[in-house]
Amino acid sequence: MRHPTKTCLAAAIAAASFGLSQAHADEIVIGASLPLSGPLAGFGSFQQWGYKRAVDEVNKAGGISVGGKKEMVKLIIRDDKTDPNATAANTETLISRDHVVAMLGSCTPALVNAGALVAERAKKPLVTGCDPLEAFKSVRKWKWVWDIFFDEPDLASVELKAVADLGAKTNMKIALWHDNGPDGQVVGGQIWPNVAKQFGYEVVQNAEFPVDNTQFTSIIGEAKSKEAEVVLVDAITPQAVAIRKQMAASGYTPKVLNIEKGAEPVQFAEALGKLADGVLVGGYWDPSFPYPGAADLAKAFESETKLSSSQHIADSYAAAQVLLDGIAAAGSTDPEKINAALAKTDKTYVVGPVKFDENHTAKLPVVSLQWQGGKTVVVWPKSAKTGDLLFPVP
Amino acid sequence: MPDIGVALSTIASGVLLGGILALTALGLSIVLGVMRLVNLAHGEFLVLGAYAGLFFLQFTGVDPLLGLPVIALLLAAFAIPLYRWLLQPLADRGPEAQMMTMFAVSIILQNLFVLAFSADTRSIARDYAALPLTLGPITVPLIYLIGFAISVIAILIVNWVVSSTAFGRDLRASAADAEAAATMGVDVKSVRMLTFALGVACAGMGGALIGAAFQFGPSSGGAYLLNSLAVVVLGGLGNVLGTLAGGLVLGALQSLGGLTLGDGYRDLVGMALFLAVLAFRPDGFLARGRP
Amino acid sequence: MIGKAAAGGVVETAVILIVAAALWFAPAFAGDYWLQIGFRALIYLSLAEGWNLMAGSAGLVSLGASCFVGLGAYVVFGLLNKLDMPPPLALALAAAAGGALAAFVSPALFRLRGLYFTVGTLALAELLRLTMINVSLFGGATGIFLAQDPPDLPALFHCALVVAFLASLAITFCARTRASVILRAVRDDEDAAAQMGVRPFRVKLAAFALASAISAMAGGVQAIKLGAIEPYGIFGLQWSIDVLSMAIIGGVGLRLGPLVGVIFVIALGELLADYPEAHVAIAGVILIVLIRFAPRGVVGLVAYQKLASRRPATA
Repeated sequence: MRHPTKTCLAAAIAAASFGLSQAHADEIVIGASLPLSGPLAGFGSFQQWGYKRAVDEVNKAGGISVGGKKEMVKLIIRDDKTDPNATAANTETLISRDHVVAMLGSCTPALVNAGALVAERAKKPLVTGCDPLEAFKSVRKWKWVWDIFFDEPDLASVELKAVADLGAKTNMKIALWHDNGPDGQVVGGQIWPNVAKQFGYEVVQNAEFPVDNTQFTSIIGEAKSKEAEVVLVDAITPQAVAIRKQMAASGYTPKVLNIEKGAEPVQFAEALGKLADGVLVGGYWDPSFPYPGAADLAKAFESETKLSSSQHIADSYAAAQVLLDGIAAAGSTDPEKINAALAKTDKTYVVGPVKFDENHTAKLPVVSLQWQGGKTVVVWPKSAKTGDLLFPVP
Repeated sequence: MPDIGVALSTIASGVLLGGILALTALGLSIVLGVMRLVNLAHGEFLVLGAYAGLFFLQFTGVDPLLGLPVIALLLAAFAIPLYRWLLQPLADRGPEAQMMTMFAVSIILQNLFVLAFSADTRSIARDYAALPLTLGPITVPLIYLIGFAISVIAILIVNWVVSSTAFGRDLRASAADAEAAATMGVDVKSVRMLTFALGVACAGMGGALIGAAFQFGPSSGGAYLLNSLAVVVLGGLGNVLGTLAGGLVLGALQSLGGLTLGDGYRDLVGMALFLAVLAFRPDGFLARGRP
Repeated sequence: MIGKAAAGGVVETAVILIVAAALWFAPAFAGDYWLQIGFRALIYLSLAEGWNLMAGSAGLVSLGASCFVGLGAYVVFGLLNKLDMPPPLALALAAAAGGALAAFVSPALFRLRGLYFTVGTLALAELLRLTMINVSLFGGATGIFLAQDPPDLPALFHCALVVAFLASLAITFCARTRASVILRAVRDDEDAAAQMGVRPFRVKLAAFALASAISAMAGGVQAIKLGAIEPYGIFGLQWSIDVLSMAIIGGVGLRLGPLVGVIFVIALGELLADYPEAHVAIAGVILIVLIRFAPRGVVGLVAYQKLASRRPATA
């Protein structure tokens, strides 16, 4: 019995080594592990597009000059199935098998952190978006990982600022519902109660639920019975859709409804139809922003994929550009030098000016978006606005 | 302490929701009972039914709840080749082989859903799915009541098929003792194939209902599989009316758990109950003793 | 018969010892990539050996590997973070916790035979996951970060090697001593075995507790390597399914089944990694084909072919 198995073992090992890709000496290899399947596959597909576009543009322009020689950039993407174990394993393989010089991040704190911890240990630079800054900073003091995204306190206060600034009148009773994921706990559990008090609201309910919860009837019932006219929700898209539907089916319509995270992608409005109207969501990017290439990026995405664009194409595109610029500035594939060049990043990208602070974070400004007729409209601040606030929620 | 109206509404919604859960679990129960197969692709068949409902509405304009029989037939037609080519050859090979095959089917389907329909969260947008129904202090979602009614009707029909038709007699005989049934002239192979088709058709109907009442996406199946398993175990394997009872009990207790401990504890309560019943009444809480 | 088996056991133990000793020096000459793969393979090997012992010998088909992997991970993180315990001690305690949980739930789970046991282990894993998500003491959905810096890759590889070594040794002991006869008797006919004076409950419990202790230890090592755990990943159904598919692909109940299954699945994963969009579906198709045409797994397939070619006349 031992002999046949040896043959089999040898065959398997041979097959495995066959798969080893030969890195060309004249290529700069970078890699990313993305959620292309599983619950977050939606985000992953936007990020994949953003990363690829940035790399393609650099290659079309002749590549990056390293040590005085122009070299093409090769981007290797792996699927992590929305599983942090897989993100970590993919990142390890990218470093040890594909010999990447630097990497781009996955999406959401759980996945980004899993890959980032591997990069940190292996001393390879990793630039990411899609990981809110407080959640990112809470893990550790980073040396090799850089995050370009919004900061939770900004996002958490934007809607109440907008409502106060635009003069929408309510009974000042507020209900806060949030999931117990890392960013949900920061936003809903810590920041919102304080911000609400600052703006003079009475917090009548603060409810927490698991990220993948599906039934919200008792939470909704309680808010209804306590007559909250302002509801702030922090939940991912499937739950956001469920909450909005179940609110309607419980006959509860607050005057102001803000659903962070989950209400952001177009699929939210597609799944809900008219029910999406009036829902507020904080955003860090819109094609109308006055940054170079913003409008073109959304147009390019829509014409290439025939899908509606998302702000996730922008932070991923920008993260990849920041990394590629870093490699170019370093003029080398030495991780140490690339990391040093990343620290000096100071330039305006499609998401706005990017400059990292001592925590390795670059903060994106946040605006208030509202769904109106299947499209988002920037309703606040006034300098960026593309439409008027729909109030109260129909 | 929650307000009395909130409490009553939550429990009422829970019971009605339990009815819907019963329909989603029915297919799993039948397949388990007759084929001794934990159908790990059950959740994906639900999701497939939900997509079928969504596109049925888009292409024909007919309400997916009216089109449930058509969706059931489509899913059954999908199930038959699956059984013939994948499961039947493994019939004599113990439960693991079939279970793993269905697991493979489930990951293939999930992958295909993403490729074909994107990873977006969907929902079958119907006006009646967003209307409240108010009776005195109690408010429940109208769609829960509609779903409950549909589930009960579907379950009664399936119960009639299983208990009163010739096919049902063969099915029960095969479930009790396949070898004995075969010697008595029952074509066990065909019975199993049709049972599988029936199970998948039930899953499809349950999925279309979920699509209208809630939301779904390519990877929603897993959560429904676990919930369905809990219902099946509560009601007893292969026991059609038991499944309905199991659904109602699970729905009511989950909503009680949600009410007292917070919505986050719903599933936790469900799983704890599930294990307790498994441990103390493995044939379902309705069973009077081991057969 | 038993004497022969025991002699085989001595040979087997020697082989395991030699291979483990040889692998101990792997970090000196293998590159990082092979160490990473090796680490993953050793962790899965430990899990699959345990699963194979339960299913192949005692007839307990489990879908609950994730339960014990997760438990081990949380126990180890708790002990390292709160008590600053040395990792080997923390891992030993994680193993004890895994065995203890198995013993604690066994009265309930062993009332269940066949499918019910499978479903029960699945529910147990889900229950534990939901508990971790809801109880903020355990970090909720955010999970826990390891306070100290994890050891370097060669050290982690050695850790995994020790776990896999212990697992293989334990399984050899079970498969080559009188224990195997008892286990098989229980698997084939529990009631008959009981009448012959075997106590099926104790036998099954021993197999279940041993496999669970091994899984918890493997989970602990995996967690130390990750440096951060959260309930969705570490209690993910993926663990249970991966282990099940490895054992089935290798060959259920065959001594070399887990090893071959682990190598096959990991090699397949690496080969398909360059097709991120469709790798899951392709892996599914391969799984279906293998189950259909290799009833006793890859090991069974190869062994059977050898047998057939050696004795064409009698076939």
